[in-house]
Amino acid sequence: MSKKKVVTSGGVEVREKPLGLRIWNNRGYYIMFLPVLIFLLIMHYWPMLGVRYAFYDYKPVGPKTFVGFDHFTKMFSTPAFWTAFWNTLELSIANLILTNVSAVIVSIFLNEMKNLFAKKTLQTIIYLPHFMSWAVVASIFSLFLSPSSTGMVNGLLRDWGILGEADKNIYFLASTTWWRPIYWFIQVWKETGWGTIIYLATLSGINPELYEAADIDGATRMQKIRFVTLPALSNTIITVLILNLAKVMNLFESVFVLYNNAVFEVSDVIATYIYRQTFAIALPNYGYSTAVGLFRSLVGCVLVLVCNQVSKKVRGRGIV
Amino acid sequence: MKKKALSLLLASTMVVSLTACGGKGDDAGTTTGGTTDNSAASNTNDAATSDNNASSGDTSGSAAASGEKADYHEVLKDGITIVVNGTLTASVDNGQADFEKQWEEAVGIDLTIQQLDHSGYTDAVGRLFASQDYPDAMIMSAEMFKQYSPTGLLWDMADAYANAEFQSRVTLPSINENLKDAQGHLYGFAPTYGNGCVTYVKKAWLDAVGIDINSVKTYEDYYKMLMAFHDGDPDGNGVNGDTYGVVAAGFIGTEAPWINYLPEFWQDAYPSLYQKADGTWVDGFQEDATKQALLRMQQAYNDGAIDPESLTASTKIAREKWFSNDQMGSAGAFTYWAGTWYRTLTDNLIKNEVNEELVQLPPIKEIQDTVGGYLNREAPVWVIIDQGDPVHNQAVFDALLDTMLDGDKVQTLWVYGAEDVHWSTKAEEFTTNAGTDKEKSYSYADGEFHLKPSPNDPNTVWKKNHLDPALTIAQLTNGFTDNDELAAAGNKFFTENCVDAPASPVSETFTNESGTIHDAIMTCLTDVVTKNGDVDAAMQTYVDTVGPIIDQCLAELNQ
Amino acid sequence: MAKEMVSKKPSDKLHVFDIVNYIVFILIGLVIIVPIWKVVVDSLNKVGVYQFQLWPNSFTLDGYKTIIGTQQLYSPFIISVVTTLLGTLLGLVLSTLGGYVLVQFDMPGRGIFAYILLFTMIFSGGMIPEYLVMRRLGLVNNWWILVVKHGMNVYNLVLMRNFFEGIPGSLYEAAKIDGCSPMGIFFKIVLPLSKAALASIGLMFAVAVWNDYSTVKIYITDPLQVNFQYKLRNMIMDGDTPITGYKVSQSTLYNAGIISAVLPFMILYPFLQKYFVKGVNIGAVKE
Repeated sequence: MSKKKVVTSGGVEVREKPLGLRIWNNRGYYIMFLPVLIFLLIMHYWPMLGVRYAFYDYKPVGPKTFVGFDHFTKMFSTPAFWTAFWNTLELSIANLILTNVSAVIVSIFLNEMKNLFAKKTLQTIIYLPHFMSWAVVASIFSLFLSPSSTGMVNGLLRDWGILGEADKNIYFLASTTWWRPIYWFIQVWKETGWGTIIYLATLSGINPELYEAADIDGATRMQKIRFVTLPALSNTIITVLILNLAKVMNLFESVFVLYNNAVFEVSDVIATYIYRQTFAIALPNYGYSTAVGLFRSLVGCVLVLVCNQVSKKVRGRGIV
Repeated sequence: MKKKALSLLLASTMVVSLTACGGKGDDAGTTTGGTTDNSAASNTNDAATSDNNASSGDTSGSAAASGEKADYHEVLKDGITIVVNGTLTASVDNGQADFEKQWEEAVGIDLTIQQLDHSGYTDAVGRLFASQDYPDAMIMSAEMFKQYSPTGLLWDMADAYANAEFQSRVTLPSINENLKDAQGHLYGFAPTYGNGCVTYVKKAWLDAVGIDINSVKTYEDYYKMLMAFHDGDPDGNGVNGDTYGVVAAGFIGTEAPWINYLPEFWQDAYPSLYQKADGTWVDGFQEDATKQALLRMQQAYNDGAIDPESLTASTKIAREKWFSNDQMGSAGAFTYWAGTWYRTLTDNLIKNEVNEELVQLPPIKEIQDTVGGYLNREAPVWVIIDQGDPVHNQAVFDALLDTMLDGDKVQTLWVYGAEDVHWSTKAEEFTTNAGTDKEKSYSYADGEFHLKPSPNDPNTVWKKNHLDPALTIAQLTNGFTDNDELAAAGNKFFTENCVDAPASPVSETFTNESGTIHDAIMTCLTDVVTKNGDVDAAMQTYVDTVGPIIDQCLAELNQ
Repeated sequence: MAKEMVSKKPSDKLHVFDIVNYIVFILIGLVIIVPIWKVVVDSLNKVGVYQFQLWPNSFTLDGYKTIIGTQQLYSPFIISVVTTLLGTLLGLVLSTLGGYVLVQFDMPGRGIFAYILLFTMIFSGGMIPEYLVMRRLGLVNNWWILVVKHGMNVYNLVLMRNFFEGIPGSLYEAAKIDGCSPMGIFFKIVLPLSKAALASIGLMFAVAVWNDYSTVKIYITDPLQVNFQYKLRNMIMDGDTPITGYKVSQSTLYNAGIISAVLPFMILYPFLQKYFVKGVNIGAVKE
């Protein structure tokens, strides 16, 4: 607005000035961003230069030789890679849906809870698993689900007569039937509580007048949940789903600590596949694992772009 | 719109430009002009250094052949660095500093020890090498050694070995002769033979189910024993069926010789590439013997003869389940390392207040008749990283490996550890497990060689350092011997009942594809054993998945 | 009709709903707490049992005594405490600075900064390139890697940005008119308003650093530089270093190890809980 009033001796610069001035005016912010930028460049962008190894034969010893797209050709013709690829999508997307559905349900119930002490206590309890590392969680559940006679679940099934004399103990974590349900259960067990935080925040922001109006109309509790609470949450639910969709390709730790040889077909994900290709081999080819990693990142990029489009359609703005 | 375009651009230019500049760097072999990309530039250097290494490999061989020996004190005045795994028992919290100091005093140069996590040793070494972090010398497992020996990284020490001072004392020359490749290069040096696993059975459990170990002669007997452990109540807690016959760290091991944790089930099968008597290489996994072995394990898994958790157990978990203080869920038999481990297992049982008496099961008839005995694995080796300077390489050999078997002071350090820390010849009295019914007192006169309590565990007597006294290819000459009757009995038992394990293959394809092959083997094995799958169908899947790769490996090997 | 009935007996309806609600909650609480309680009880039990017990039938503190008595765990514990504190501090500094700058909507280049940040969430160089860079920075075999690796966390930075976005713009404007510099606004207005966000995001950083195992596994081979989680796991669960001189059952020790690893946060987080709901808030939620 003050563009035209700024008259300086250098007539040529008049058009450039607003941007320059704006940058100058914001100099303090640039300086504040500098540490972040430095860390970002060193910790993230410098290693990114390494993606070129995807096109090289790169082993711990010997020269690196350019092989073009050989690693990609090999990767696409490897069945184990495709198993891992589809497992990543299936496990990750189901994780997202299950944890969020349960988080929404629990938040609604929590929100309806009138006894503050009970509400606080329950919140304390359901947040607890979030503070345990995946390694610890896996240790706990491996103990419970152990097929040997020390396993609690098998022991109880036997005590309750569900497993008879003739039946063998069930090896839950090594069974292709059981592995996924158990994995999802553990995921829900660990992350539901933490997931409720966002939804509870939204619920606390709902205008109380809406509920009062519903009361006047004589709505039941269920009706209020159906017509007031859920619509208020819908936007948050979509946001959370979309934001997390960007991360689905990164699934690693939770699978890594719970999977084993017997359940590769239902549990192996791209990150664990990369891990084995890098670590379980005496003389690994880092070029190949980098190529798989690069492919994973590219799929992640595509997902983000798609999400961004969806987000624009649904919410009228992108995710960033 | 703009934003989307930007992010796409960002992603695509990143990939393209990086590939381009990396490619330039490597092809040209000069510093990339214009791009001040540090790692691309260093990449060029890396390639160059590696080339140097490779080419100098040949020259160093010939220089060493001329037999000139420089004084290593002079050449190595900056000291040497070694990388070791967990087999150097004198770890940081178990007296390593003293070991290092005494070694430096005895040899006269500075020593730096980098001890890596035992379970992740192979991949940690890979990362060291990838970042051009080369020690002067290091320990390698037989499998690593096989894969690294054709890379030009390792120094050929054939001449150094032939002219070594310790040669006159070597009692087992075949160990290192067998390590030489077809051209006579010796890229690694084994100061000991490999050792192997034997089957231990809990005496108390045998008594509880009324089986005499001498009657266990065949697979059928063995299996009956396992089932008796499972069906009966050998732990005496009043419940039948809550114990198992045998526990193992995996149905198949994680390193050669693969089958050594469950030899009774594998018998004559060898589920990897191996060389037949006529010299041709074959894939043992596709042979009928393997199918039979898988079926045996399938039955055992279903019957409860094998602890089902053997599927996922690490060696540590398997071990600890076996000597756990609560014997419910434990197993009666356990196939584990021979010799010193006989003592270690016993000590752990004592510590957990479990009846510690163990018997060693002689190889069953099926093993005896086909393979000939328990497998003696290929020995782990010491390798010298080729620094491009033959004088330096020779000096490392002289300072580190030649002294390692000097029969006296330095060898004692490697065998028993540091004086007055791990062992002593001074008069001494001590008691282990004081206050329990396993209390044991030791008393030694002045001048009497004896092992002291472990620095990190006063209740356990120290056993050995890196070299097992019973396994070394050249014995100590100073008369220091540890008279542990169990370890001695264990070693005697093993040497009487062992045969050498098949040699690991050296094939580029095998090296590259070992991850994929291992995955396919595991899939097939679990399909049959834990999922009751049809063995022929599972085998067909294996062939469909990796058949072409295996054929290529075999073609390379049989050239 | 229906309407009448409903308004007639609202208290009855409430009653039924609340009972159902309580029952559901007791069930949820049990599902969460039973596995954890089982570990707690087993860590205090002399002999391992498969049954769930409310209280150990053969009480012993030997598992914890053994862990406390193991000197090899002392220095890893100190490293864990120091790295957690420093990592949280660095993380908060970087995420508040970055988040604050990202809400300066009239700042030229803001969008580019946002993209530079977000791009790293989906694209990474891979493990070996990262290892080579860290080695060049001297961070291999050095516990500082734990601080640096967790300090820069884009996800937390975005959370922080979203929180700042919720601070009314009028506050900034007023401060600017008063002649406050960007730094001044940051310290005098933004940070004091953000205690809840600082507490909850700080906790997220702390949990991440404390629980880290894989970074240590990849980057640290020197036994004098490892953290508590790693050493504990290595000694008790899957390593080859035996824990020394123990006379307790494996089950007791194993469970006591699990509890020791999570104990600091089990004690700490209930005190910070009141901040969570206020603090962890995705900006978009506020639409």
